[in-house]
Amino acid sequence: MARFQLDIWGEMCPIPLLKAQKKLKGMNIGDILVLETEHSCTSRAIVVWAKDRAYEITEQEVANGIWHLELTKTHD
Amino acid sequence: MSQRKLNIGFTLFMLLLFILVAQLSPKSALILGLGTGLGFVMQKSRFCFTSAVRDPLLVGMTHLTQALILLIALSIAGFTLIVWVGEARGISYSLNVFPLGVHTLVGGVLFGIGMVLAGGCASGVLMRIGEGFGMQMLALGGLLIGALLGKLTVAHWRFVFGEWPGIFLPDKLGWFGTLILEFGALFGLWMLARWWQRKQVGE
Repeated sequence: MARFQLDIWGEMCPIPLLKAQKKLKGMNIGDILVLETEHSCTSRAIVVWAKDRAYEITEQEVANGIWHLELTKTHD
Repeated sequence: MSQRKLNIGFTLFMLLLFILVAQLSPKSALILGLGTGLGFVMQKSRFCFTSAVRDPLLVGMTHLTQALILLIALSIAGFTLIVWVGEARGISYSLNVFPLGVHTLVGGVLFGIGMVLAGGCASGVLMRIGEGFGMQMLALGGLLIGALLGKLTVAHWRFVFGEWPGIFLPDKLGWFGTLILEFGALFGLWMLARWWQRKQVGE
């Protein structure tokens, strides 16, 4: 159960999603990927993408316009 | 949650601004109202035209593409109603619609490249600047320069590339046939988008 952090601050949609996809490939099942972004559409896109692939994901707006995502790799 | 929260101070400000503009010019007030409403819906829904045409190829998601197809279908219905009623009552209107030409395709490809690099189309860039995403101020600068250059030179490009004669479909197929053709084409695209989504995700 390792926790990974990915710096996607200020990055434009779809770079964060592509980076997350790449990072996930090197992670084990059960590992958690933590992402934080100030781009509303990026946050939405990652949530929709993760749900499509049946990964566990939580989305929280920690401050006005800042989203905190935690993605659990539940399967390969 | 900024997606759900209602900012009372700002709402009041917009309302007062609307009342002020309405007294100067009803037309400007109407445009302001429409613009505010559009921006409100886009920000709350986080709708993204760029994502709708880019994500099917990049990440294999077509949720927004399907939403875009629905949006076009709704606009077709709305525009048909307006044009049809206008024609029946003899009201003349001018729309910014031009015939297709090679320059349309060239412009589309150029805009598409810029849109993906900037991370948003015109409305998306404006909406995210309002949200405070600083990087797209840069994109707005490019957008303004490009739009201005395009506006100044469009007559030249239309002359150089030439354009096909414009067709008003209802003249050829009738109103009913046009609607069937357009909705049929959109339905085909929608089925294609759904099939693509299933193929990529393997639902």
